[in-house]
Amino acid sequence: MNTTQNSLRPLTRLLNTSLLLATLPFAFNATADETCQSPYMAKITGQEDVVYVWTLGMEGLGDEQDKMVTVDVNPVSKTYGKVIDSVSVGGRNEAHHADFTDDRQFLWAGGLDTNKIFVFDVHTDPLHPKLVKTITDFVAKSGGVVGPHSTYALPGRMMITGLSNNKDHGGKTALVEYNNAGDYVSTYWMPTDKALQADPSSVYADGYGYDVRALPRKNLLLTSSFTGWSNYMMDFGKMLTDAEAMKHFGNTVVQWDLHTRQAKKIFSVPGAPLELRCAWKTEHNYCFTTTALTSKIWLIYEDKDAVWQAKAVADIGEPANIPLPVDISISSDDTKLWVNTFMDGKTRLFDISDAFHPKQVYEQKIGAQVNMVSSSWDGTRLYFTSSLLANWDKKGLDNEQFFKAYRWDGQHLQQQFTIDFIKEKLGRAHQMKFGARSLYSTPNTATPR
Amino acid sequence: MSALFFLLVSCLYSSTLTAASLAPGYAPLTFTAPVPGTYSLPELGKAQDGRVLDSQAHEHSLLALMKGKVVLLSFIYSSCDDVNGCPLATFVLHKIQQHLSKHLATAQQLRLLTLSFNPEHDTPDVMGQYGRSFQNTSLDWQFLTTRSEQELAPILHNYQLSVQKINTDDGKFTGKFTHALKVFLIDEQQKIRNIYSADFLHPETLLSDINALVTHQTHNNSPKPHATPVRPTRKPSLLGLPKLPVPRTNPLTKAKIELGRKLFFDRRLSFNNTVSCAMCHLPEQGFTSNDMATAVGVEGRSVRRNAPTLYNVAYATTLFHDGREHSLEQQVWGPLLAHNEMANPSMAYVLDKINQQADYHAAFTHAFNKPATMETLGMALASYQRSLTSAHSAFDRWLYQHESTALSSEAQHGYTLFIGKAGCAKCHTINTHSAVFSDQQFHNTGIAYQANMVTNAPTQQLEIAPKVFVNVANSLINSVSASKQNDLGRYEISQNPAHRWQYKTPSLRNIALTAPYMHNGSLRSLSDVLDFYNAGGVAHEQLDPLIKPLNLSPKDLAALLAFLQALTGDNVKQIVNEALSEPIGN
Repeated sequence: MNTTQNSLRPLTRLLNTSLLLATLPFAFNATADETCQSPYMAKITGQEDVVYVWTLGMEGLGDEQDKMVTVDVNPVSKTYGKVIDSVSVGGRNEAHHADFTDDRQFLWAGGLDTNKIFVFDVHTDPLHPKLVKTITDFVAKSGGVVGPHSTYALPGRMMITGLSNNKDHGGKTALVEYNNAGDYVSTYWMPTDKALQADPSSVYADGYGYDVRALPRKNLLLTSSFTGWSNYMMDFGKMLTDAEAMKHFGNTVVQWDLHTRQAKKIFSVPGAPLELRCAWKTEHNYCFTTTALTSKIWLIYEDKDAVWQAKAVADIGEPANIPLPVDISISSDDTKLWVNTFMDGKTRLFDISDAFHPKQVYEQKIGAQVNMVSSSWDGTRLYFTSSLLANWDKKGLDNEQFFKAYRWDGQHLQQQFTIDFIKEKLGRAHQMKFGARSLYSTPNTATPR
Repeated sequence: MSALFFLLVSCLYSSTLTAASLAPGYAPLTFTAPVPGTYSLPELGKAQDGRVLDSQAHEHSLLALMKGKVVLLSFIYSSCDDVNGCPLATFVLHKIQQHLSKHLATAQQLRLLTLSFNPEHDTPDVMGQYGRSFQNTSLDWQFLTTRSEQELAPILHNYQLSVQKINTDDGKFTGKFTHALKVFLIDEQQKIRNIYSADFLHPETLLSDINALVTHQTHNNSPKPHATPVRPTRKPSLLGLPKLPVPRTNPLTKAKIELGRKLFFDRRLSFNNTVSCAMCHLPEQGFTSNDMATAVGVEGRSVRRNAPTLYNVAYATTLFHDGREHSLEQQVWGPLLAHNEMANPSMAYVLDKINQQADYHAAFTHAFNKPATMETLGMALASYQRSLTSAHSAFDRWLYQHESTALSSEAQHGYTLFIGKAGCAKCHTINTHSAVFSDQQFHNTGIAYQANMVTNAPTQQLEIAPKVFVNVANSLINSVSASKQNDLGRYEISQNPAHRWQYKTPSLRNIALTAPYMHNGSLRSLSDVLDFYNAGGVAHEQLDPLIKPLNLSPKDLAALLAFLQALTGDNVKQIVNEALSEPIGN
């Protein structure tokens, strides 16, 4: 892979990119891709320089390995719209999600199949991430947790959601905590205690996991639920037609005590609730999730009695056609929610000014399939990638694999450029994370690591 | 009151700062603080050392200053004017100091350390002035700095603190830093037990954690799901089974069985360390997989057929649904090398991997007096599988031990149908002194014919959540489906057209535990299977002549079901417990 030095002038970079320090007041809330970060993480509020794309290797394509692909997304750069770096990690690990440590120095990228976690140094040279550590003891140390999914920063440590276990490759799983050095800390199994069910008549206390988000000021940790290795690694069509396999999806969101890591309540949210995104404003005590199979937006909110509740608040597309909502992105002003639907390849914009009554206000087809969406802090730049899971992606010509950049003018999405990940021999494009040199560019940095 | 507190007070009452813009640590806690002793504070790593100076310019080891106390260690710089930065840390520590002035027993076990990361400005004297108004006799609070940035750097590095100087455009240091606020809680053993950033830094929660360490000494007690139970001893359960066939070349030994079991549960036997034998043949699921129709191998590759149960596999004269193997010792290499199962590239790859593990070297030497070889690996796995005998069922006790009450009257009626009108026993044979419930032959029930030759309906009903069904167009499903592999059954081995869509007769022992059924797992319950045969299978030219409409009544079907459910061996729980006691190789 050719790599080219970005040509931005330092001063321009500094002006274009501002760093929201963790100590600034409005950084207290969690969460979009710049608006989807962990609480208290430094955030890029101006122009991002690069997008890191955690990419799945494809059999028969290029070097067939998973890789961290760096795309130059700064319009003033000579290499704008190009792949400027690619780091292959060895093997196909079912690359999926990635996220930064709380100091944004390292990017942790997980493999849902091999359970490896690849740690990239993104601060020494943000344009050229370097693989500095591979965590291989996740299953053994955690007591049998399989499928490291979300790598979510908490102070000095990473909270990692599992999707499965090594006993039966089913959906029962746990939260696993590592410190920032990559050492195992603790395991918290997803609750199956029926006494915690919000609705005592519910049949769900499934112990499944997927995403995690925190609202520290509310001492709130939320987890959602998907399915186990046997399903997420299975050919999607084969699974859809296997009635028994279809019974093994998560139907719960769990409320945890953030400080004690103890489960407090299990909400029934049928149909595989996936991504969790919490509102930013301090008076907005709620988070959103969407259910992949039943195609609904759910609101997890604190009611007037300070009790957390869950409610379905909108349909996404025509649920009977299984549009399969996947990634979502909330705007930094809590007024908009982008929702991607994999099967029809569309992105949909919901007005969530009234969180209890989201209304779709826009939609556009991005490709034959679409999975991830990441938004800049100001909401004017959106990026999309194509891959859901290696064996769930579409087959044949519809297996488009891309990174696409758009500009949002408040009315329409305008495509800026596309990188064809198959033509470039890269693989299946999945998770995106932003990088900016100005995050690390201050001279005399005191802490070489 | 110090300058710091003037700054704090002015910030807190400034009209430009709203309550919402202040860190939570300045306001009363909005939730109930955790109760010490009711939760764990797992160890996050060791506290790190470094050379520091106290406010009298005496040099100390940082760890020495922590000795014998629970410690709160905060990193600040004295001229920090971000109200939610360093002042917050000092404010919170001060609130703790105030609180503990009334709880001296706890206070005596706690030490507060505030360390500057701006040694150029924050000399010992400056830190002394900074901390003077906070120091009292109730609580030991020391204000520290370092001799130089060079001595500071390893401390910041080891505590993973990112601190950057803010320079002017012409490169001059402004005296300010960008940094993430962090406070560390360290126990008496000098282990870090919590880390707080601004969102998490609150005197009430810190006091809970301090009390947890001082009073309760909580430790990491995360539950482990696979705590190894005491391995039970299992008696053979052979009533109703013929004499166990054991090859003369591989007599059963305890050492071989135990080694085979260890291999069976070791995920490292697959190419990418994700799939063990037990991931498709799950002990708690009848040594098959109840959760899927057909198996999934390495990287999720599709396997065409249902994972067969391993109960009583020792009695099978041929192996795999198409009977392509006849020896367990040889059969084990099939899945190990199949690209869509365990995907190992060669025998040498597997053997090298095993022989590089010290524990396997000892186990193979003990069992075979030689390392893992193509032969010994097969012998070990075969020995374990051969040990999975299960009989002595209610049926066995009724028929072979003449316990008249062992089988319900309904099940007895089912037995009569089984060997009579229903014709089941023509293939699932029962002999005078034993029953394997298989003729070891191959038959065409029409299941494969239907799967391969009949066009699907345009839509399929899917259950997308419990009791939520939708009809989905097959075109949608096909868009995410890999090309379906054909399956011609026994013909693939014999190349005899008469053998198209024929599969081996499976044993029916423990059949109630081994759903889903048929070679492709297409029938989800025993009732579905009975209905299928009652309807005469799938009519087509090559349908086995033994299969024809049975005209059984619902009562007859219920009786047959009761009979099949009476075929579960009495040692299943023991076998499963024994299997689950085996640590999983990762």
